[in-house]
Amino acid sequence: MFKNEEMEINLGPQHPSTHGVLRVKLRLDGETITHCRPMIGYLHRGVEKICENQTFFQGQVWTDRMDYCSAVANNLGWAEANEKLFGITVPRRAQYIRTMLNEFNRLASHLIWLATHALDIGAMTVFLYAFREREDILDMNEAFCGSRLTTTAFRIGGLREDLPPGFEKMVQKFLAKFPSCLEEYENLLNENRIWKKRTIGVAKLGAEDAIAMGVTGPVLRAAGVPYDIRKAFPYAAYAEMDFEVPTRTEADTYARYLVRMDEMRQSARIIQQCMDGMPEGPVMAKLPKILKAEVNEVYHATEAPKGEIGYYLVGEKGSSNPYRFHVRAPGFINLQSLPKMAEGGLIADIVAAIGTLDIVLGEIDR
Amino acid sequence: MNKILRTLIPFDIAKGLAITGKHFAKVFFTANRRKVPFHIVSEYPEVVAKVQPRFRGRLTLLKDEQGEIKCVCCLACEKICPTQVITIEKGKKEGRKMPFPVRYDFEMERCIFCEFCVESCGFDSIILNHQFELAAYNREDFSLGMVGAENMFEPSNVGKFSVADD
Repeated sequence: MFKNEEMEINLGPQHPSTHGVLRVKLRLDGETITHCRPMIGYLHRGVEKICENQTFFQGQVWTDRMDYCSAVANNLGWAEANEKLFGITVPRRAQYIRTMLNEFNRLASHLIWLATHALDIGAMTVFLYAFREREDILDMNEAFCGSRLTTTAFRIGGLREDLPPGFEKMVQKFLAKFPSCLEEYENLLNENRIWKKRTIGVAKLGAEDAIAMGVTGPVLRAAGVPYDIRKAFPYAAYAEMDFEVPTRTEADTYARYLVRMDEMRQSARIIQQCMDGMPEGPVMAKLPKILKAEVNEVYHATEAPKGEIGYYLVGEKGSSNPYRFHVRAPGFINLQSLPKMAEGGLIADIVAAIGTLDIVLGEIDR
Repeated sequence: MNKILRTLIPFDIAKGLAITGKHFAKVFFTANRRKVPFHIVSEYPEVVAKVQPRFRGRLTLLKDEQGEIKCVCCLACEKICPTQVITIEKGKKEGRKMPFPVRYDFEMERCIFCEFCVESCGFDSIILNHQFELAAYNREDFSLGMVGAENMFEPSNVGKFSVADD
């Protein structure tokens, strides 16, 4: 009686709920998605190639501009990959400060995820509250390195400057109020019937599929795999920190939400430990004036808020530029699980699926 | 039975509304009162926004006490700049041993405010000032040099557009 016809539509690239310039090609049967393909490349700048034409020192400014919500975590990966390449040992105080700022950045990234994800699904209040706390973290970024978003926080071999005066007070003030803020978000969302209806059982991705597709970060941990590079291959000062890796087994959007909320609690714990056990000493290792590489290649992976961010660097003898530079961007690899999550579901749920992956297109397209 | 009650009576919504209500009441009863610490918004263009001491603003050339330009044209900042926004021309000046910059051009539209130039400078002759209102109507206003109305020594006056004149 009715003609059964599939419809093809584009979600994005200017759609506000696609978190940037992501275009998703959808084929719909009524309201059910039968085919879903993310199309990327609208924000491609050629960061890898640009970095190959610049010195090791200059390359860091480009890592800020990949995942602009977690610039400090990207800086840390870049700095540590270079230190691995040149065989530099970083002073212990610098390691502690790096760890602390990295965890602050994880908080900021998760807060912006919570804010936009909730806004996509329809909870506007959380957006305003989460941005209020993120503002404090950005202020701390500004106090430490002078910039709020594109931080360029670390240097190869340590830090440019020590913590500014009054920084400890800012941190303690933040840590004193942050648990109550987390409780506020949870009271708004955890029991909310609309939130639960929109997230429980939506965009499932089991552990087997997640591992097969190389998905990392909270998406993997919400499927029950306790893989966290901070624990598995400790870097910076994480070996000395006491924290847990929160996991869930439900593997749906709600589980990922809970995992990220627990991760924020653990981050606050790590920051407290860093402040308590902050060692004294220099913050910069002794470096040669111009860094010149030997023929050498390194891959260094760190746990960015979105998952495993890996830097692959190849040095050329006598050159101060990397011969080859490649980034294993967590968002890029997590995004390929979108068809698996969305196909067979309703079109309204793909917004939740995109939000729960926590993608930033600056990093995916690079 | 319990489940039906929970579905019928929206406790979960009430819980959320209690939080928003609390915040609303806090602001409502203290509105227009000064020195209320939890008002987090500021009246930005009218009230000057404060920045941290390490804030990275526009590149500025410094002069010493005699009014001499401190820059000695070592070209370290030009070399380290990731976006190549600095161009320096070396020259000589009478009564000065060190080289003197005849031209120090700065293309602000390409500057990414990373402060690598200041870090590389061994003579403390440049800083990034605390200016962040750097918008302008004309493209030429972003090309700064040592002479002219928009120069490298004084803060740009492009920030004036953010505050109403009346």
